[in-house]
Amino acid sequence: MSRRSYSRHIPDFRLMTFFAEDGKSVVHRMNPWTKAALLAIVILMAIIMDDLILLAVLYLSVLAFYAAGRLPIRLLVGWYTLPVFFVVTIAILLIFTEPGDPLASIEILGKRIAITDAGLMLLVTLLVRALAVVTLSLALFMTTRYSHMAYMVSRILPRPLANIFLLSYRFNFETSDEISDVVDAVHSRNGNMVRGAAKQTRLFAGIFGLSFVHAFERAERIAKAMESRGFSGEFPNVEKLTKPSHYGYLLVSLTILALVIITYSRYVSDLIGWW
Amino acid sequence: MAHVHLEDGAFTIEWVVIWTLIAVALIAIALYRLGGYAIPTRKLAVAAMCVAVGFAIFQIEIPVFGGVHINLTPLIGILVGPSLGSLAVLVINMFGAAIGHGGWGMIGANSIVNIVEVFLGFFIYRHLRCSWNASRFFSAFSATAVALTVSAFVALVIISISGIQGSTQGGEQTFANLLIMAAANIATGLVEAVVTGYIVSFIGKIRSDLLEMAEGEKRPETAETSQEVGTVV
Repeated sequence: MSRRSYSRHIPDFRLMTFFAEDGKSVVHRMNPWTKAALLAIVILMAIIMDDLILLAVLYLSVLAFYAAGRLPIRLLVGWYTLPVFFVVTIAILLIFTEPGDPLASIEILGKRIAITDAGLMLLVTLLVRALAVVTLSLALFMTTRYSHMAYMVSRILPRPLANIFLLSYRFNFETSDEISDVVDAVHSRNGNMVRGAAKQTRLFAGIFGLSFVHAFERAERIAKAMESRGFSGEFPNVEKLTKPSHYGYLLVSLTILALVIITYSRYVSDLIGWW
Repeated sequence: MAHVHLEDGAFTIEWVVIWTLIAVALIAIALYRLGGYAIPTRKLAVAAMCVAVGFAIFQIEIPVFGGVHINLTPLIGILVGPSLGSLAVLVINMFGAAIGHGGWGMIGANSIVNIVEVFLGFFIYRHLRCSWNASRFFSAFSATAVALTVSAFVALVIISISGIQGSTQGGEQTFANLLIMAAANIATGLVEAVVTGYIVSFIGKIRSDLLEMAEGEKRPETAETSQEVGTVV
């Protein structure tokens, strides 16, 4: 976690960018289009696969890809907090209400509720699906330079959305620095010692309100500067991306083939149930 | 957390496609209303700043009730309107998906929920300020509370209709199971509503022109009694 990060469970954009710009691993050298294609295929695999063992293989493959990028595993575990929280929030009651064999039970207010094997399996399956995608998504953003990301975004998204995405990508750093400065100032004046929900809420509302006002003022200045420099509605790409290598095409083709087999097995006829 | 974001794998591929198409239609309407590809530079910059601030604020934990993270999507609606706000929340969801705060395949479903927040935040605030002449704090608080309550139920309906992938439970049972989640979201949403009320009061005092879109015309604040925001820096 970088000095500016205020949470151990939310990925720090500055740290992610540091890894993306300075990393020298084999994953960093891989063509960004190849990595983006792999992410899209893994998302589809995570949605379509329903066998927990296959999903576990997918997750372990993605984790190996992340590790091959020489990215920090310990931080990744902390960054899993949010996706795990979201999955558990939605699926927590299913472990009790899903029909299946009871594994453990507890009596609450005279009513016995039990965790079922099917419910637990469902929760684990949803977790593995989510974590496989999150890990590869973080790996993509932590191994792809900003200039390459900007080129891909400008090619994939409609121009207004691409412009907002690219501008906000850059504004993220300034804004988070500014908010961090204000929070530092509050802490240095014992702001963290404030007691009571009302006072805390008002204090943080002031911080956030100030951030919005500054953001609007900065946006107005930037818009004027962009127009005075002849902004025509499209950001020029300094560095263009080359096509993937033969190995890149081969890797993507093989994963597409695996996706086709998985899709066929799920929706048409089971081809992989033999194992 | 005032919002629940769905992660990849929660829905089957059919529902992922359906919600994505609906979200694309909503974004297309927003783009059309903004003038298509000819969006003024100032609006682009303002939307980008809203994304950056919304994303940065999400990373700060407010130390009340054990720690609360907020997104301020209704506030974005109040400040920039429903069309530009819809584009902003879509980009926020893309950044969120990049770090695991919602899935890539779920950007459609998550954006629908957030667009509801932006839309209701703007129109309820506007109605309360222009028709009822309510105070900024009350208008923003009410607009945010209603927007987040409705969006919690929209999320619930989306999950119930789609069904959790792998679960054998029907829509009604899923709805009943997830009511507790919605109740928790609504409770946390009240914290966000209070914060939004204070922020709008604060902005109204020092840059009331930023609220012009939602208030129609400059309107002097009269009876803001309990909304004084403490000096921060």
